[in-house]
Amino acid sequence: MKVMRLLQMTDSTFPVGTFSFSNGLETAAYEGMVHDAATLEQYARSVALQGAFSDGVAALLAYREAMKNNLRGVEEVDSQLMLFKMNDEARTMLQRMGRKMAELSEKFYPGNRIISLWHRDIKEELTPGSFPVAQGLAFAAEGLTEEELFASHQYGVINMVLGAALRCVRVSHFDTQEILFRLSEDVPRLYAKARVMRVEDMNAFVPEADIFASLHEKGNMRMFMS
Amino acid sequence: MKEVKREYSDMPVVSFDDAPEMAPYLTPPRAMYVGAPGKHGYLNLGFELDASGKSILRELDRRAPLIVQQELYFDEELPGMPCVYILSSGGPNIDGDRYTQNITVRKDAMAFVSTGAATKLAEMKDNYSGLSQVITVEEGGYLEFLPEPVIPCRHTRFISDTRMVIHPTATVFYSEVFMGGRKYYKDGEMFCYDILSVCTHGERPDGRQLFREKFIIDPSNASLRDVGIMHGYDIFANVVVLTPPDKAREIYEATSAFINRDTHVSAGITHLPNDAGLLFKVLGRETGPVKAEVRDFCSNVRKAVKGVPLPAEFPWR
Repeated sequence: MKVMRLLQMTDSTFPVGTFSFSNGLETAAYEGMVHDAATLEQYARSVALQGAFSDGVAALLAYREAMKNNLRGVEEVDSQLMLFKMNDEARTMLQRMGRKMAELSEKFYPGNRIISLWHRDIKEELTPGSFPVAQGLAFAAEGLTEEELFASHQYGVINMVLGAALRCVRVSHFDTQEILFRLSEDVPRLYAKARVMRVEDMNAFVPEADIFASLHEKGNMRMFMS
Repeated sequence: MKEVKREYSDMPVVSFDDAPEMAPYLTPPRAMYVGAPGKHGYLNLGFELDASGKSILRELDRRAPLIVQQELYFDEELPGMPCVYILSSGGPNIDGDRYTQNITVRKDAMAFVSTGAATKLAEMKDNYSGLSQVITVEEGGYLEFLPEPVIPCRHTRFISDTRMVIHPTATVFYSEVFMGGRKYYKDGEMFCYDILSVCTHGERPDGRQLFREKFIIDPSNASLRDVGIMHGYDIFANVVVLTPPDKAREIYEATSAFINRDTHVSAGITHLPNDAGLLFKVLGRETGPVKAEVRDFCSNVRKAVKGVPLPAEFPWR
C-alpha cells in the first residue's frame, strides 16, 4: 500500500502542473547550450544538485516539523524557502504546485490537522504554500520515510527537466530514461548531505541556470512557464 | 574557535565553526593561532552628513591587517560622495584568518567603498578564512560597495556572511566578483580550491527578513563545468541591489539579460523576494569584461537613484 502511495505522489501525471515548467531548459535549448543527450544530462544534474540542497532540504525539514505536529515550524520552513528563491518564475512555480498539492492532500487526509491548518493559512496568505513543504506534509501524513520523500523529490526535479526536454531538445525517450537511471545513482550521496542541513544551510550554485531563468523572465518564450 | 588563546583585541573573534560545510576544516592552524594579532581584522566605517549636509566618514575604527585611510572625493559624477578603499597590510587571507567589517551609512548620506586590489585567498592546510559583515543603510542613504575580485588559490577554504539592514527608502549596491582561481599561474589553477561558502541576507530595520542567498562552491562535490553551473566560464559576479520598488523597476528595464557568444560574457537579472530589489549575475572568461558589466549595472543603479552615471574607470584599475 505504501509503495502504491509513493508511486502515486511521485508520478509525473500527479496533477500539480509539473509539465508546464522547464526549470530554465527552454532557454538553455533555445540558446543551443543544451542540444543533445550529453548536454541535457549535464543540465539535469546541475538542476538536481541545486534542488537537493534547497527544496530537498526544505521538504525534509517540513516533514520533521509535521511529524512533531508543529505548524509554526512548518510555516517557518515555508517562508525561509521563499526568502531563498531568487527569481519570480521559481517562486511562482513552487507556489502553484504547492497549492495544488495542498488541496489534494486535504482530500487524501481529511483528518490531518497540520495539512488542513497549513492549507487554511495558504488561502489566508499567511504562509507561501511551497511545493517541497506540501510534499513533506503529505509524506508525513502517509507515514512514508524521509529517504522516500527525498528520492521522490529528486525524481520530480529531474523528471521535470527530462519531460520538458522531450518537447524542446532533440532527444529520445530512451535517452531521457538512461539519464534518469544514471542521475538516480547520485541520490544517496545527496541525501547524506541534505539530511544534516538546517534551514540556514540551504544553498544553491547554478549561475548559468540563473541566467537562463532571467532570459526566460525577460523574453517571449512561453511554451513553458519557467 | 574553542581554542582561542591570547585574545589581544577587544573585538570578539568571528567563528563559522558550526557551518556544516566547514566541518572538515576545523584543525587549529599549525602557524599563528586563530585570533592572533594581524590575523583578526576588524573594520568599522560610519558615514553620515555633517552640519553642512556633506557626506563624511565620521567613524573609523580598525584592527590590523585591515586599513582604511581618510575618505577621498574623487568621483567626478558625484563629487560629494566620500570614497574609501579597504586595504590589507597582511597580503592574502591565510589559514585561520577572521575578519569583521561593518559599514553604516546614516540618514541621507552616501558612500563608495572598494578595495585597493584583488583579495587573494591563500592556500590553507588546517583551518579556513572567514569574513563577517554587517551593512546598515538608514533612511534615504546610498552605498556603492564595488570591490576588486576575490582570487582563491589551491586548497583555499573561505566562508563569508553578509547581513544587510536596509531602510525601505535606502539603496545599497553590493557586488562580489569571484575568479575560478589563478588562471595564468603555472599551467592554470582553476577551481582547485576546497570550498567557497558565501551567504548574503537582507532585512528591514524592524527585523523583517527580505531575502537570503547562500551559495557553496565545492569543486570536489559538483561538476562545475556542467551546463547550468560554470560551464565554460571562469569568472562569476554576484550583485545584490536593495532599493525601493519604483527604482528597482527602472533599473530592471534598463538592464538586459544576454548570452554573448563572441565575448563569452553572459548576464542575468531578476527580482529579489519581498520587493526588496534586484539580483544581477555575470559570467565570463576574463575578469575585465565581467568587471565592466558590473560597473555598467552600477551605473544603471546610480542613474535611477542619483540621476548620474558612474564615471569612467581609472585606467590603472
